[in-house]
Amino acid sequence: MSDASATRVSGGASGGASGGDGAAKSGFVSAAKGGSTAPTLIRLSKVGKTYYRGKEPIEVLKDLDLEMPEGAFEALMGPSGSGKSTLLNLIAGLDSVSRGTIHISGVDLTAMSEGARAKWRSQNVGFIFQTYNLLPVLTAAENVELPLLLTPLSSAQRKQRALIALRVVGLEDRAGHRPDQLSGGQAQRVAIARAIVTDPKIIVADEPTGDLDRHSADQILELLVKLNTELKKTIVMVTHDPVAAERASIVRRLDKGSLT
Amino acid sequence: MIPISYNFRSLFVRKATTIATALGIALVVFVLASSQMLARGIKKTLGKSGSAQNGIVLRKGADTEMSSIIETPLVGLVLAAPGVRKDASGKPLGVGELVVVLALEKAGTSGQMSNVQLRGVSDDVLAFRKDVHLIAGRPAQPGSDEVILGKRLRGQFAGLQLGQHFEIKKNRQAQVVGIFEDDGSSHESEIWGDVELVRTSFGRDGIVSSVSVTLESESKFDAWKAALEHDKQLNLQAMRESAYYEKQSEGTAKLVSFMGGAIVFFFSIGATIGAMITMYAAVAHRRREVGTLRALGFSRGTVLSSFLLESVLLALLGGGLGAFASLGMGFVHFSMMNFASWSEISFSFDPAPDIVLRSLAIGGLMGVVGGILPALRASRTSPVAAMRD
Repeated sequence: MSDASATRVSGGASGGASGGDGAAKSGFVSAAKGGSTAPTLIRLSKVGKTYYRGKEPIEVLKDLDLEMPEGAFEALMGPSGSGKSTLLNLIAGLDSVSRGTIHISGVDLTAMSEGARAKWRSQNVGFIFQTYNLLPVLTAAENVELPLLLTPLSSAQRKQRALIALRVVGLEDRAGHRPDQLSGGQAQRVAIARAIVTDPKIIVADEPTGDLDRHSADQILELLVKLNTELKKTIVMVTHDPVAAERASIVRRLDKGSLT
Repeated sequence: MIPISYNFRSLFVRKATTIATALGIALVVFVLASSQMLARGIKKTLGKSGSAQNGIVLRKGADTEMSSIIETPLVGLVLAAPGVRKDASGKPLGVGELVVVLALEKAGTSGQMSNVQLRGVSDDVLAFRKDVHLIAGRPAQPGSDEVILGKRLRGQFAGLQLGQHFEIKKNRQAQVVGIFEDDGSSHESEIWGDVELVRTSFGRDGIVSSVSVTLESESKFDAWKAALEHDKQLNLQAMRESAYYEKQSEGTAKLVSFMGGAIVFFFSIGATIGAMITMYAAVAHRRREVGTLRALGFSRGTVLSSFLLESVLLALLGGGLGAFASLGMGFVHFSMMNFASWSEISFSFDPAPDIVLRSLAIGGLMGVVGGILPALRASRTSPVAAMRD
């Protein structure tokens, strides 16, 4: 499979994002559909993923070739079971491939041990989940501070950074609130603050608006666009929501484990 | 490192389970600490009864004063042995004493009998045992049917109150004329009367159970012992008084420790399983949280140590409660049979810091044992699988 299925969405985020239609096959440079070029950040080569239900193999991803440029805001769409979340998990280093290789910034994720991938994730990936996944007993600031506990920063520096991240998402005044004291939209913004607090290269978002009403969803999408355009974060988002996908600069569609 | 506040607060999300588990562990630590305190109290009580500078002589082969018979003429030989301290008038410091057991009715019961140790003492016993002080009444008159009473017996048996009478043998009444204390020693659980009163009441004419002496110094003991034991015809054995009483405490202290240990063993199995169930439930309940932590980059080892820490925290919470409660036992006096003398003796629990800390550590260990498997399960949680739930 090639990544020729990428679609440039007009009016979406544009922070250097580009489709892979004419992606260079060597080096980490993708040719943007709109004519601009950006280095390739994520490259998948012949990536396959097979799960087993008992002894029965279930092929979730079928030999995907894909390149995502640095600074892109990509949306992955497709029906349930098409392999979107699996692809997202592989890119984020949460899961391991059955076949093929994944390079991110030239680093081969598939050659890493699980422990090494955990360390790599903590330094390079920010996560946004559909159900926010904040730790319920910690305050917003403590939740945001969590990923910083894996850095050598001092406690004071961690707290300061967490507050800055909360300020970015407009929730500095909710720093001491626990998740159950926040609305869904606010909780997701805290999760976004947690995702950006370590200044990662990539933000992966799995249905980030799936649990939100339209108004809150729009606010979250605005925020993601802002992260992409102003903070130059590369965002890979899985969504069922066409409105959400419209905000992305590139939309890719999966069906039965293949890009269509 | 995952912040400890996460574990601490998580414990209180499921309050009922946490409290129930903590109480189980508290009970184990309480029983463990209390039994250790009692065993220590027994040793201390009996240990205080003897001095390292005093020597005691029994019939060879006798384990206790109760089973020892020494003919009265030998008392003079023991007192005359080299190394025995003499008073200003040149009189050796020592006493021959006769010990018997008396069955008396326990106070507040209808006919429930228990043994009490009765010590027949010489009229100069208070001069010999300088730690003994009368706290009420007066000394017993030599040659009379008067006795003085250790303070721990006071009110514990019928007739054992100042001014009251009790039956020392059929149709022979003895009167309590004084109450004494002896720095918490086992003497405080004895009745002391004139040695002749005891001899005539129990048909022990011409004998004593033991001879106790004060030595010129602790270093004189070996020479004194050798002088007495060298003459095989005397058929006597000499030992330091402190060593004798320590030996007396061994059996009872060991029994208490064993019984406490047995109870603790079975209780701790239950409490550890309780902690394990609680932690398994916590891991299952927080699977998504674990998945999130793993996704954020926390390693398996970090997740394992975090849940293990939580289990230990839970155990220490309960352990602390149990240890604190056990400190209250320091105010409790406990009467039980001393198997060396077959008489009832009153002990105090000794709430020593090392016992409390050791019991607390055992509580913490229960947290480790109960928490290790759930923590391993948490550490093996796949972030992908956890997110799918």
